[in-house]
This record gives sequence, C-alpha cells and structure tokens, in this order.
Amino acid sequence: MNTAVFTSRRGAAASPAELDPLLLWPALLLLLLGLVMVYSASIAMAEGSKFTGHQASYFLVRHAIFLAIGLVIGLVAFQVPLRFWQDLAPWLFLAGVALLVIVLIPYLGREVNGARRWLPLGPINMQPSEFMKLFAVLYAADYTTRKLDAMGSFRRGFLPMAGVILAVGFLLLREPDFGAFAVIAAITFGILFLGGINIRLFALLAVIAVIGFAVLIWIEPYRLQRIVGFMDPWQDALGKGYQLSHALIAFGRGEWFGVGLGASVEKLFYLPEAHTDFLLAVIAEELGFVGVLAVVVLFGLLVQRAFAVGRQALLIDRVFSGLAAQGIGIWLGVQAFINMGVNMGLLPTKGLTLPLMSFGGSGIVANCVALAILMRVDYENRRLMRGQSA
Amino acid sequence: MKFASSPILNPRLAPGRSRFVVILLLGGFLLLIGRSFHLQGFQNDYLQKKGESRYERVIEISATRGRILDRHGDVLAVSTPVKAIWAIPEDARLKPAEARQLAGLLDMDVRELNRKLASERDFVFVKRQVPPDVAAKVVALGLPGIHEQKEYRRYYPSGDVMAHMLGFTGVADEGQEGVELAMNGLLTGKPGSRRVIKDRRGQIVEDVESIQAPREGKDVTLALDAKIQYLAHSLLKQAVGEHKARAGGVVVLDARTGEVLALANMPTYNPNNRVRLAGAQLRNRAFTDTFEPGSTFKPFTAALALEKGKFRFDTPIQTAPGRLTIGAATIHDAHPHGVLTLAEVIQKSSNVGTAIMARTLSAEDMWQTFNSLGFGTPLKLGFPGEVGGRLRPAKSWRPIEQATMSYGHGISVTLIQMAHAYLTFARDGDLVPLSLTRVDAPPLAGATVFSGQTAREMRVMLEMAVQPGGTAPKAQIPGYRVAGKTGTAHKLENGAYADKYVSSFIGFAPASDPRLVVAVMIDEPSAGKHYGGDVAAPVFAQVMAGALRTLGVAHDQLLKPLLMAKAVKEGV
Repeated sequence: MNTAVFTSRRGAAASPAELDPLLLWPALLLLLLGLVMVYSASIAMAEGSKFTGHQASYFLVRHAIFLAIGLVIGLVAFQVPLRFWQDLAPWLFLAGVALLVIVLIPYLGREVNGARRWLPLGPINMQPSEFMKLFAVLYAADYTTRKLDAMGSFRRGFLPMAGVILAVGFLLLREPDFGAFAVIAAITFGILFLGGINIRLFALLAVIAVIGFAVLIWIEPYRLQRIVGFMDPWQDALGKGYQLSHALIAFGRGEWFGVGLGASVEKLFYLPEAHTDFLLAVIAEELGFVGVLAVVVLFGLLVQRAFAVGRQALLIDRVFSGLAAQGIGIWLGVQAFINMGVNMGLLPTKGLTLPLMSFGGSGIVANCVALAILMRVDYENRRLMRGQSA
Repeated sequence: MKFASSPILNPRLAPGRSRFVVILLLGGFLLLIGRSFHLQGFQNDYLQKKGESRYERVIEISATRGRILDRHGDVLAVSTPVKAIWAIPEDARLKPAEARQLAGLLDMDVRELNRKLASERDFVFVKRQVPPDVAAKVVALGLPGIHEQKEYRRYYPSGDVMAHMLGFTGVADEGQEGVELAMNGLLTGKPGSRRVIKDRRGQIVEDVESIQAPREGKDVTLALDAKIQYLAHSLLKQAVGEHKARAGGVVVLDARTGEVLALANMPTYNPNNRVRLAGAQLRNRAFTDTFEPGSTFKPFTAALALEKGKFRFDTPIQTAPGRLTIGAATIHDAHPHGVLTLAEVIQKSSNVGTAIMARTLSAEDMWQTFNSLGFGTPLKLGFPGEVGGRLRPAKSWRPIEQATMSYGHGISVTLIQMAHAYLTFARDGDLVPLSLTRVDAPPLAGATVFSGQTAREMRVMLEMAVQPGGTAPKAQIPGYRVAGKTGTAHKLENGAYADKYVSSFIGFAPASDPRLVVAVMIDEPSAGKHYGGDVAAPVFAQVMAGALRTLGVAHDQLLKPLLMAKAVKEGV
C-alpha cells in the first residue's frame, strides 16, 4: 500500500487535465449555480431575520466558506487511492454509526424544528447523516466486494447488510431523518443489486420495503399528513399543503425563462426553506423552465458519467472502485430526484436537500468528497489502462 | 479456464444491471423535466392565479390634499410629507441606552417608549407625524425592529394668524374646521388604487398595475389677502390685549366683489400644534357668535325711513327730552340732544330719534328689509357652526320691541352678517353674496335692498359720524374719507342687561368710492373704555388704513391733520 501511495507521486499530484471534464464541469456548474441561488433565495430571509443579525449575505458567506472547505477537502480526498478508502470503509461506517448515536444524546445533539440532526462543533453544526450517506456508499461497496460470491445467498449475502441498514435506519428515524434513511437504503440496496444479488431476493426486499414504509406511516401519522398534503396541496393550501403550494406557484410564475435572477416573490417569506430543501422552486421561479432543465440535465450528466466510470472500473476488475463510483451515482441521482420531485409535487415532502446546491455545510463537504472519490476512480482507471499503477 | 470465464473478457459483474439503474435514474429525471414542462408551460396561469390570491393586494393610493392659497398665490395650508416611526415589538429588544437615545430623539418619555415596545401586537406606532430629519436620525441609529413610514401632515405656515379662516384637518386628513371643512370636497382628491405584490410581512415588493390613478386634490385660491389678514390679526390681538377684552373679531370685505379679504378672531390658536386646544380658541366668532349689534344697526332703520319717503336726510326730529315712553317701557339717549335732523340722529347715534323713525314704519317692512340684508339666516358659506342670529317674525313684534330693534337691541347678529349688510351702503344699495374664494370676474349687481339715492345719502351720514361732532372721530384715516358707525351694546345675561358691553365699529372707505368694508367687534372690553368709538374705531382705522395702502387705493382727500374733537357719546 505504501508503494501505491509513494510510487504514484506523479499521479497523486494530478494535473487538472487528468480530471474528467465530463465529471468536473457539471459538478462545478452545479456548485456555482448553487452558490448563486442560495444567495438569491436567502437574501430576503437573512436580511429580515434577527437570527442572522439582518445581514443579507449571511448565507452567501457561509455557503462560500463551506464550498471552499469542501473543495480543499475534495482535493485532499482526490489524493487518496481507492485501495485506502476500501480499507477505511468499515471504520468510517462505524464512526458514522457512532455519530448517529451521539447526535441522539440530549445536550450533545442539537434539535431544530423538532428534528435532532445536528452536532454543534464550535461555530458550526455538523450533520452526521450527510456523511453517513458517503460512508454507506463506501461500506456497501466494500461489503459487496468482499461477499461477491455470496450474493446469491439470502443468509450470507443479503441478511447481514439488511440488518446493518435496519440498525442505521432505526437511528436515523429516531432523529428523525426519513429522507436520509430513504437515500441510504437506496444506496446500499442499489449497490447490492449492482453487486449481483439474487433478483428474487430483491423482489422480496421490494415487497418488504413497501410494507415497512406502510407500517412506518401507520406508526407516525405525521408522515401520512405529509402524503395527504402532497396529493392535493390546494385542499389545505394554507395548512399541510402550504409549502408545496408555494413551491408549485413558484414553478408557475417562472414560466419558460423565469422572472429573472433575484426577482422571486416566493422567497420573500412565503416559501419556507427556500435556500435549502426548496431551492429548486426558487430556481424555477427566477430562471424558469430553462433553469430547471439545465439543473436536471447537469445532474443527469453527472449520474450517467458516474455509472460510466463505475462500469469502466468493473471492466478492469476493480470491483470496489466500480461499485463505489456507481454508489455515488445512485446517491446523487436518487437524492436529486427526490428533492426535485418534492419541489414539483411528485413526491411527498421529505426534508432532503438538493445535492451540491442547497445550503448546508455537511452536505456540501460530503458531496465534494464523493465527487473527489468519483474522479479518483476515473483517474485510477485511466492510469491502469495506460499500464501505470493505481 | 474457459475462455468466457477469463476475468478480463468476462467481468464478474455484467454491465446489464448498471445500465438498468442508470436508465431508471435518467428516466426519473425525464419525468422531472416533463413535470416541470407541464407546470411551467401549461399550468402557469392556474398557478399564478393561486399565487396572486396569496400575495397580490389592491392598495389605496392616497391623493394629496390640495393647497390653500391666498389671493396672490401665497401658500396658507399645505400637506407636507412627514414620517411615522413604528415598531415590531418582538424585534425591538432595545438596550436601555438605545431606548434612551431613541426616546430622546423622538422627544418622548422612556417609560412610554418601553410601554409601547412591550406591546403584544405585531405593529405599534412609536410616534406619528415625525419631521423627516428626525426620522432620518432615528433610522440612522439602525435599531432592530424600528421602522419608518411615509405620511402627510397639514402645515399652516401662518400659524395662528388665519386659524379660524383656514380651520384644520383631522387624523384622516379630512377638513374639520374653516375653509378646510367648507371646501373639503374640492381639497380632497379621489384616492386611486394599485395592484401590488406584497411579501409575507406586508411590504410592497412589486408594483403590478394601476387600477385607478389618484385624482389629486385641487388647490383653493381664497379671496383672502395674507397681508391684510396679518394686519387685521395683529391689530385685533393688540386691541383685545389692551382693553382686556374677552374676545374680538375683525372682518374685511371687498365692497366691489363681496370677497372676504380678511377674517380674524381672538382668542385664536396655532393650527400646527393643537395639543392644548380649548373650545373658546376654536370658535370662529365672526360666524358663530351672535351679539346684539346696538347702534351699528341704526343706519338700516334710517335707510328704510328714507326709502319709504317719510323722511329726508334733513327732516328734523324732536328727540328731547332724551327719552321716549312706549307702553310701559321708556327708552333713553345717553345725552339728550333736542331737535336733530335724520342725518344728525345717525351722526350722534340717538336711540330716541331712531325709535321715532321706526314708529312710522310697519313691522312687516322692517322685517322685510332686515331679512333682505341677510339677518336671521346663516350665510351658508360652509363654515361649521354658522348661525343666522335672531330675527323674530314681524307678527310677534310688540311696539317696544319694534322700537328697540330699530337701534339694534332685541335682535342678534354675527359680525360677518353686519359687515355683509354694510355692503349695501358701500355699494349703491345692492347686496352681493360673500365669497371666500377669489372672484376674478366682477360680479353682477346683487339683490337691491335700497335705492342708489338712499345708499348715497347714507354714505354721507355715515361719513358725518366719524367727523368731529360724530361718535367716532378716532375712525378717521389720513388721506381717505371714511364712513362708518359705532356700536356699544349692553350684553344680555340671563335675560337682563349686564354691565358688560360689546363695542363695535363698522365702516367703509374711501367714502367717495367705497372699496373696503371693515367690521370690528370687541367683546367685553374691561380696561375702562367700552364705547365703540374708543375701543373698536381705532382698530378699524388702523386696519382700514393698512388695507387701503396694501391695495394701493388712491387717496380721496388731502393729507391733513385729523380733527379729533371729543366724540359725542352714543346712546347705549
């Protein structure tokens, strides 16, 4: 391993030319558009809030700092060979679980709006569930690589992972963070599926998942309320459907080309969470269908490219790298789909941010590391195909 | 090893499932694009209507109230933009030092400020009608939760000088007194409305469209001459002070047009600061307070006697021995005079002489004349509280009442009515209506009350009254011939005449071609003098002289020392 690290110094100091432009540019564009739109969406709210000290650029400054931190950590992460990530994966996952436990401890975890999701770390709050998504990718990829031959077995292949995910799910639902659980479940079972798990097992899993969600909703009625609000936001437009109805109005106001950057009305205290969960609604209002289309296409490019890089890795028999890359593709793809679907009223409100774009330090940093790993996979693929070491 | 199982040629994980997942995800993205396309391209109208119901509001655009101008265009009343300081109490958590600073700027008590900021409401006015410069200082403090808002304040540059004439407006910018009320319809514009988008906190963020443009209030140009008004006000104020009077009033009319050039009352008030306003200050006495006119009324009786042809101006009338008994009552002259011509009766103001004239007249004729002169009915200029005075129907007059009424007792009038009625002498016997606003085209002749001949003869008699031998030499003005009549009436208190007087003088000048009518009334002078000739006439002279100079009216007599012989005391 040492040799891998030290003999590849030339590669480790990778020049930007070595970065896949099809990955780099969509990611950078989404990050930068996110920065602009977070500012636009938050400016009125920040100015009007005591909490921010009435500074209009409160969220802009913080988001920019998080972006800078994310890019630096991403650059560092890019230097780390995949082999290393694979070795670390179980430990990172364990650390993630530990954080999910800590966040539930009173006085250590911080509660906002009834959800205990944050760990106060000096001036910033960390959201363990965001990092847990990354760790879940790495762990599931490692698990599947190790148990590749047992993928046909329910007891040896499926059950251990299912147990782990249920445990993580239990912790996440205690916060509660239903959205993160949905994304992590999608990531892990997606990787198992890609890892060749028995297709009948998967069908069974699907049935269990449906029943499980039904039970969860039955236990926690507020989820049902969210679904009721989502079915017809106009039914109770000032109550349960309030948020979604304003998101939909934002889409309607945007039309083809938007009302213009900065001109959103919905962000003026009407649309809650405009700079986080409902950022796309502000994009839709200010930049119109064209803006939404651009965001969806960029995410599509990113997801498609992540899978292509993953398949490339699998082709040269780098199973962990391949599954990790595709896992990241699933993560970004599923979370972006759910968030945008929620914004457009296709899915019930979840509390999930738009990856790479929404305000939120932990999410941005975790996304940047994931992109760095994705690019590292691609970088190692190309080195190996040139006959160089990873 | 079989060829197909070589790890290079047959990877352990076939790309099939990977492709399936990508297609699933990209399919999901296509669904999003389709949904967005539908929402933004086809449901846009429906969604925008929903949005409009949330944040579009129709707001009223207040029309600016018109200005009040004097006849030369000087601004007498104007709406100036000021600020209201308001707060969101929840946001306004001020440190004690900040609260003191704010209270100091707004000139209010810190405790009162803290009480307002402790309110449970979402919105409180901290202080209204704050001058813009003070509001700017408040905003510069940058205190949380403290905001400003535009509003209007009616400002009267001349302060108390024409308070009663102009009146003032209420909180809702509507006229409450004076011209502000009388011409409220003109001054008030018609508010317009606009459709705007408001943010959730109620601030306007976008102007969508104008539904109805506001119609601004119209400016009103008064007949008032600010210089003459100022003169009238200050001279009246001085006289009321000097004579320790309870109240007073001055009216200046243009004899040619019936325009009200000046109207002053004492006591008055500052319309810009109505904090401690008493009812007495508010009274527009010239319009609302009636008094028994006394001798200033005699010329009307004399004029009617001339009209009826029973008397000529030189017809001798025996007034000795200075008293006349009618039924059970006896009327007196202050000084017995003996035989006087009709002109001398007016000049020396003999009650007995006037009563003798009245005996030859029918009550019906007298009532008819007084009524034609405007007594007994309000002028209806639109001022609040305008009264008509008391003129009882002729049928109910007893002989003694007819006699006292002939010299101005048992009848009540307002000062403006008296000034108005004197227009008939200043003009050739006709009565033009009064006008508060500037009259640009000379009015047609008014309703004829007396013949031109009678009016001219009355002018001569009234000129005699201010000459030596008359009751008011102090009404004379250098350079102008003056005509007028004094009045000194006992005040009625609880049905009996008390030892309190109303001193008045009503006259016009230049007597050769009358231009102005000035009426002066001093209520309860109590510094020793109470005769109209001593109290009201000097005020008249000063106001008239100043007004004639202001208007540039040509002299009609050589400038020479005035003959100020001791005035003849009029009958009281």
